[in-house]
Amino acid sequence: LVVSLRKVQEACCYEPVKPKKRRDEENFGEDEFNEEVGRCFLRVLGVKKSEPVGDRIVRFLGLFLKVASEKDNQIASSGDPETNSFPETPTTRLTSIIISLVLPLLVAKDKVVRFRATQIISHIINTLDSIDDELFQLIRLGLLKRLRDKEPSVRVQAVLGLGRLAGEGDEEQDDEDSDDDTAGGVLEKLVDVLQNDPSAEVRRSLLLNLPFTPATLPYLLERARDLDAGTRRALYARLLPALGDFRHLSLTHREKLLRWGLRDRDENVRKATARLFRERWIEDCAGLQQLTEEGAAPATGQVSKPSYEALLELLERVDIVNSGIEGGIALEAMKEFWDGRPDYREFVTFEDQFWDELTPEAVFVARTFNDYCRAKGEQKLMGMLEDKMPEVTKFAFFLQGHLNRLMEGVQQVALQAEEDAAEAEEDTVQQEFCVEQMLHIALSLDYSDEVGRRKMFSIMREALALAELPEECTKLVIEVLRTVCGANTAGEREFCGIVLEAVAEVHDTIMGEELARPDAALEADESFHSATSHLSSETTPTKAKKSARQKGGEEEVDDEEKTIREIMVNMKCLHIAQCMLQNVQCDLEENSDLVTMLNNLVVPAVRSQEAPIRERGLVCLGLCCLLSKNLAQENLTLFLHCFTKGHEALQTISLQIITDILTTHPVLLSPIPPSTDQSTADATELPQPQPSPLLRPLQKTFLKSLKSPSPTVQTTGTVALSKLLLLNVFRAAEGVDELLRHMTILYFTPSTRANPGMQQALSYFLPVYCHSRAANALRMARVAVGVVHALLGVAEEAEEEDEEMVGLGVVGGCLVDWTDGRKVMNSGGVVGAEGECGEAHLLLAEELLEKVCMPGTLKEEKKIYFSVLSKLHITAPTTSAPAPPSERLTTLTALLDEATEAKVANDATSRNALARLRNAVWKLTETGFGAQDATVV
Amino acid sequence: SAGPTKRKEKEPFAIDFAAPMSQTLADALYTPAASNSTISLPKAQWKSRTRNLLPDDKHFNSRQLLRLFLKPKARMGSRKSGQA
Repeated sequence: LVVSLRKVQEACCYEPVKPKKRRDEENFGEDEFNEEVGRCFLRVLGVKKSEPVGDRIVRFLGLFLKVASEKDNQIASSGDPETNSFPETPTTRLTSIIISLVLPLLVAKDKVVRFRATQIISHIINTLDSIDDELFQLIRLGLLKRLRDKEPSVRVQAVLGLGRLAGEGDEEQDDEDSDDDTAGGVLEKLVDVLQNDPSAEVRRSLLLNLPFTPATLPYLLERARDLDAGTRRALYARLLPALGDFRHLSLTHREKLLRWGLRDRDENVRKATARLFRERWIEDCAGLQQLTEEGAAPATGQVSKPSYEALLELLERVDIVNSGIEGGIALEAMKEFWDGRPDYREFVTFEDQFWDELTPEAVFVARTFNDYCRAKGEQKLMGMLEDKMPEVTKFAFFLQGHLNRLMEGVQQVALQAEEDAAEAEEDTVQQEFCVEQMLHIALSLDYSDEVGRRKMFSIMREALALAELPEECTKLVIEVLRTVCGANTAGEREFCGIVLEAVAEVHDTIMGEELARPDAALEADESFHSATSHLSSETTPTKAKKSARQKGGEEEVDDEEKTIREIMVNMKCLHIAQCMLQNVQCDLEENSDLVTMLNNLVVPAVRSQEAPIRERGLVCLGLCCLLSKNLAQENLTLFLHCFTKGHEALQTISLQIITDILTTHPVLLSPIPPSTDQSTADATELPQPQPSPLLRPLQKTFLKSLKSPSPTVQTTGTVALSKLLLLNVFRAAEGVDELLRHMTILYFTPSTRANPGMQQALSYFLPVYCHSRAANALRMARVAVGVVHALLGVAEEAEEEDEEMVGLGVVGGCLVDWTDGRKVMNSGGVVGAEGECGEAHLLLAEELLEKVCMPGTLKEEKKIYFSVLSKLHITAPTTSAPAPPSERLTTLTALLDEATEAKVANDATSRNALARLRNAVWKLTETGFGAQDATVV
Repeated sequence: SAGPTKRKEKEPFAIDFAAPMSQTLADALYTPAASNSTISLPKAQWKSRTRNLLPDDKHFNSRQLLRLFLKPKARMGSRKSGQA
């Protein structure tokens, strides 16, 4: 009587045989049989979702119907080969009966029944080729309704069924008449659900069940940024590999998919993307290569032999010249490639010929291979690298050759009229990319060989003196020079000298040429412009030039050209100086070369009327300040002034400079007279000496940056403050509370949602700050009540504006977490209940009670404070931890009494919170006073 | 030989196909929902403001806090520790 799990399985094998049996008794048994099957199937509808038996029977039904209808069709067509439409057979009748039975149950009240009903119908339409038209319409309508079911599991089943209908839509639209908005309608609805369904499970099953068409593709690919990691992974691990050749995707899509996937926050998504790139995408290229070479593509599922051409094609297809720049995704993609493809590691070679016929793709192969082997640092890889790469001297010669080629290109572009220059410019961009990659390799080489080192040194020196050298190359050349000069003080001095010689030379080249041959100078200027304009973000000189041309009359042109040239020269020289200063650490005042540069180049630039020059000058001045405390002290007010008066870009630069100065020279903020013992300034009370007069204006500046309407300034201000607060640069200065309060409020304010840079910086900073030092947690406890109060106002406004905002309960939860003493790192770097822990929550309790007892506090507000209060963790201190100051407990007890007397708690929850707190404090008082020598846990 | 811990025997799930339909199942089957809305997703959840997509990832990390704005290559405090 009882059909157990095993018997169902047995039945699975036995039942498909049944049609034959049935056929014999068809004329007298069909109705009864159908009824019996239907009757049985109703039993399944009550089986819970978690029960695998239910799924198995549904699958069994599908299998049975499939086999049975095939048999039926065989019989039908053998009897009458003329009919090619779908004949009515016993099985179609049975199917109709089952569907008619189940259809009305789609709207049952019970969710299990709805789930099974939807599952059965979806499964049937996915297994069978054809279904009665009338029923089909009913199914479509029924499933569409279930697409909006309350239960995600039902929606998933509806999706599985409708996915099939949507897929067939295109073909059917042709034969069916115009009343058929079904297919398009279904697809549209599904796409809508794909974007909007709150359940990730539903979105995921849609992702895998929608047909790939040009119309659906953008929506499918969009899921690469789905909120749910599983859905994102499904896209990378299942959908994209199944999608076929990646070259059908647009270039933007390829780049975005790689970037999103390889930098995903979930490790599994990153892994899936890496595999996609190094196994599927390369195979798309390699398979084709093999096809053309050997006339036969490898069988599906088989890996093609490593192919150099395929690798080059793959890189070309991800637009290496753009995606291979610093910070570009191709660097990460290739790192994963080398990591997962030892066959390619063995396969590649970089012979002399390779370096002669360099393309952007080829050089990128070499550069990333070099990076990979060096980063891994394994003996075997390093040996392999040494075997494959040319020695330093040889490499230097190759680099020289390509530098020359680049300079020729740059000049050629300059000489050609703008219309003809396009092709030459394209070539130059590619050559520039090659040189950059070679310079990156040069940066990693071992210069212990003196001959190679000297060769590289002289080549770099010559290159730097070329006025036409593009900016990115200039920067890299300077870095190579720094490496080649050696890390010690003498090396650094030599480095500064060499670079400053080059600055002078560049200056003379351009200005000197102008005096001798105005035409030539014009050309040089032109070439410089065209070489930099495509890669530098600071194209202001170009703009200046254009506007000058537009407004200038013929007679003014000469004068204006001269001014522009001067700007160009200055910009170039400042850029070299800036790159140099970034790689220098000595004391400025001890290096006469640097002092000269400061006075002759940087100071005039800061005073310049031209905005781009002034900005670059300020950056250089800021860098100089990092090398000299005196200079920094003299100029801090200048930078503050720049922030107040400047526009967005200048404000950002000033903030960055100020922050760097303060982190490099924290003594600048010491109280006056400077206290000899820094640690006394750590105490929470005001230090005895006068606080530094710089503090106030500095804090005001930062506060202003937080309130700035510009997202860039706001983000810079946030990151800057994060650094300064984490480094405790402001010490215990008064204004810090306000800064922290402001940052915390901003974190929860909906208006900053539009600035994810700042939002993400804050979500990193706040917990790290609070949990890194007990004093920080205390500070947060001190501002917490103010934060909640301010956010109440914000929430009201948000409601009026119909903006979404996190609930204040969530805010309270965060604040409790941030001030939780158990999460504070103690001096030993261990997280745990030690040190001054626990005090922050006591303080928070104090603050909360005070606010609750205040007469003006509204009922709703109190409720939030009580809920925060109830989440506080207050326990007796362990032996290793000092008891909290007894004053704190006394105050707290007094406040508790006051709160009880004033009957501020007007509901049960609040009263409980109060009682719980009182209990905890009482215990603490007991142990705090009584546990001087006894251990109480 | 049995393992050290006895695996808890799962009650085999059974469907009694032969028995007449139980009342509970019949109720479950033939009680239609009171109205369409009780078994449907509330309209408010039909649309998601974010289309269920992540915000633009800025990849903020500790490295950004540990380096200078102007000298991204030099780590803070590297001056003290001599040549970096």
